[in-house]
Amino acid sequence: MGKLWNRHQARLLLARWQETYDIYAPVRMPGDGCFSDTDTVRYGLIDSLEEIVWDQKSDYSFKEALLPISETLFYFTDDNASVPEAPKKKRLIFLRSCEMNALRRLDQMYLNNGPEDFYYKRIRQDARFVLMGCDTPFASCFCASMGTNTCEGYHAYVHPDGDRFYLDIPDRELAACADGLAAEDASQPVKSVTEDAVSVKIPDALPENAATLDLWKDYSSRCISCGRCNFVCPTCTCFTMQDLFYRDNDHGRAGERRRVWASCQVDGYTDMAGGICFRKDPGERMRFKVLHKISDYKKRFGYHMCVGCGRCENICPEYISYTECLNRLDAAARSSAEGGEQ
Amino acid sequence: MRNEYIPFASRICRIIRHTDLEYTFQMSYSGEVKPGQFFEVSIPGYGEAPISVSGIGEDTVDLTIRRVGKVTGEIFEHGEGRSLLMRGPYGNGFSLEDYRGRELVIVAGGTGVSPVRGVIDYFGGHPEKTASLQVITGFKSPRDILFREDLKRWEDQMELTLTVDAADEGEDIKVGLVTKYIPDLHFSDLANVAAIVVGPPVMMRFAVAALKDLGLTDEQIWISQERKMCCGLGKCGHCRMGDTYICLDGPVFNYTKGRNLLD
Amino acid sequence: MDINTKKLKKNAFRVTKKRGIAASRVRVPGGLCNAEVLEQVAKIAREYGDSSVHLTTRQGFEIEGISMEDMDKVNALLQPIIENLDINQTEPGAGYPASGTRNVSACIGNRVCPFANYNTAAFAKRIEDAIFPNDLHFKIALTGCANDCIKARMHDFGIIGMTEPQYDPTRCVSCGACVKGCDSLSVKALHAENFRVVRSHEKCVGCGVCVTKCPTRAMTRSSRKYYRLTIMGRTGKRNPRLGEDFLIWTDEDTIIKVILNTYKFVEKYIDPKAPGGKEHVGYIIDRVGFQEFKKWALDGVDLLPETIVKDNVYWSGIHYR
Repeated sequence: MGKLWNRHQARLLLARWQETYDIYAPVRMPGDGCFSDTDTVRYGLIDSLEEIVWDQKSDYSFKEALLPISETLFYFTDDNASVPEAPKKKRLIFLRSCEMNALRRLDQMYLNNGPEDFYYKRIRQDARFVLMGCDTPFASCFCASMGTNTCEGYHAYVHPDGDRFYLDIPDRELAACADGLAAEDASQPVKSVTEDAVSVKIPDALPENAATLDLWKDYSSRCISCGRCNFVCPTCTCFTMQDLFYRDNDHGRAGERRRVWASCQVDGYTDMAGGICFRKDPGERMRFKVLHKISDYKKRFGYHMCVGCGRCENICPEYISYTECLNRLDAAARSSAEGGEQ
Repeated sequence: MRNEYIPFASRICRIIRHTDLEYTFQMSYSGEVKPGQFFEVSIPGYGEAPISVSGIGEDTVDLTIRRVGKVTGEIFEHGEGRSLLMRGPYGNGFSLEDYRGRELVIVAGGTGVSPVRGVIDYFGGHPEKTASLQVITGFKSPRDILFREDLKRWEDQMELTLTVDAADEGEDIKVGLVTKYIPDLHFSDLANVAAIVVGPPVMMRFAVAALKDLGLTDEQIWISQERKMCCGLGKCGHCRMGDTYICLDGPVFNYTKGRNLLD
Repeated sequence: MDINTKKLKKNAFRVTKKRGIAASRVRVPGGLCNAEVLEQVAKIAREYGDSSVHLTTRQGFEIEGISMEDMDKVNALLQPIIENLDINQTEPGAGYPASGTRNVSACIGNRVCPFANYNTAAFAKRIEDAIFPNDLHFKIALTGCANDCIKARMHDFGIIGMTEPQYDPTRCVSCGACVKGCDSLSVKALHAENFRVVRSHEKCVGCGVCVTKCPTRAMTRSSRKYYRLTIMGRTGKRNPRLGEDFLIWTDEDTIIKVILNTYKFVEKYIDPKAPGGKEHVGYIIDRVGFQEFKKWALDGVDLLPETIVKDNVYWSGIHYR
């Protein structure tokens, strides 16, 4: 059971939430695109629900609202190290069902693969999530195939309804802020898509030679190793450490250790001191990434890493289709099962 | 909430200079640690590097470091009495139980000797705990030989083969890759053999193949993998091979698992 | 046959090799037109021409084989094109009004091209509106980026699109794509320092390659669109040469004012005895001096604080006379 909110009342509600939360949602960033006079849709702070982009999938996923692209682990001086304080406010994050499912993958890595990650946990434990209903699949969406078109665990649900917004707020703390604000009682089911924009078959079992299939070689010359697919992916979690001294510091040697997002497609990902590196070929990197998403992760944790959001495919400047790759892999698996040639 | 990323300071108790490029730093440390585990060693402003434990003493751990990059370069500027920052130990390390009572073979190349040095030392000092101990160590050239003091001691304690890839004419040393000496290994009961292979990726591949040619099965072989690691905590992703995180599940693997690890 | 060839030429027809036969020159500002214009050009070519149409270097159509007797009828048929393209006209139905100032041409620009930094056709149209009709011989071209596909530097005014890269270090992952892109495709204006990108504003040509390469939106475009204005490039018999930079990091308004000011400068200094009353602006500046031109060109112009104005301009090129 929810309520229909007009813009004014919804704005008041958000203002109340803002006392406790920084509210992140997919918004249009004008002129932010790679090309002149193009926008991106990515996560930013909002004051009103109208600022949210509803009719488009965000180019970059929600993950940067939880996991900063560049995050200082500690500052140091000659004889001291200090951990930056946690953000003052909690985070309220608007996201779609695919991303709510991706959240489970982020948790898996940062909270349940080895020890808990201090920096992730201190933001994550207080974060709240508002599910944005999806009317139709966007280009390259295949959440229905991945079973991520529905989700659990969100603290509120929102969907635009004409000039108004339908909000269902099961979370008590968030709901308490609605007290005394005027909104009309209503009941709407959670909107989720049931069909995919592209038909995708994830092979149940990969053939023995999955890693050496010819299909990977196709990407050796096509992929430019830019890493966009990783950076937009809501489930990619890799990072690299950076240590530095501030250049503009006159008193002693001060600096910071930080981590920044890393991409398994970008040069240097496997480089070790002494010049040893692995997967020089972009085709091998593609294989490493794709098999992680639909096989290796599942072997370790029991469910697929990929949530079928299609962002990697949407952003690829070289028009490499991840879904096409999955389907090729499936075809190879079938052909292998039938004893055919690879 | 514990912050795993914050290192602790550890004093450099002693430095053993093997070559111009390779030193062993004996670091103050008291706590559980196994040979084959590693620490993230760092100097703020220069970065962190995963360094395997090459020896375990009372309240010390040995870290044998090769000067190959920014971090290790700076570490080499630090003398005895100064401190380095460390996190760890991480990884599984070698489980000595796996080798007890067996005919143990250890094949190690270059800095690959570091992670097994603790194993060699232990069984070298306790000959009753293995049926036999044969060690093959290989280095690039006589100038690159590590652990010279240990090697002298090991010569008396076990069947040690020390070889270099190449040497100047007239130098009194065995020449050839470690694989050249694997066929010379001898066993009384093949089924009771256990082998550890550690070194650069190519060396490990060929050494394992040579051991299998002698009749060893995958179950009888252990390897230790070295990969880029930024965290040691199963988070940064760099060391992942398939479904395996080297930092959490390794770096030591029985070859039944190790053979399936794909970069 | 009595034809005033001076009038014919100013009416955008050409006197051809063949006696009594003209060619109709249809200017398309910025080189952008729609299918209706193409269909009308085709209609004229079929009904009054010999069905051949030449695509001119300046992005017009030259409809060949038109009898000089049919010029009025052709002008009537040109009217829908003139209206469609929104060409400034002095007398409706009388065809293109002048031919001294050449068609303002442009590369395809950011409507289509990933490298372009602005909408070249739209800016071309703005210039067209400001300067036409005009009998003085000016050539202007606009190009979207420093690649200069339109060869703007061979024009009296060359307008080259620029963007000032905006760097957000908090979004940077040190992947190196921008630095590599600038090194391999542009001028090596970027380098990494302490895991962050440092841009040399002196070297930077504002091409935007770094922006297109950035995978995380750490490098984005400035909200203001900038331009490099090059001047007095030319082809021709005496001294063909490339245009040199005059203003760098300038804006649209400034460029339009400078062009209009230059018309005034030419009106003041053009040689009255020049053959056909035509003296090319570049040669006038050669004669009068750059400083005098500059004084006129920047008269009443409010430059952006960030605009670089060249103190002096020295042209090279080949001197045949």
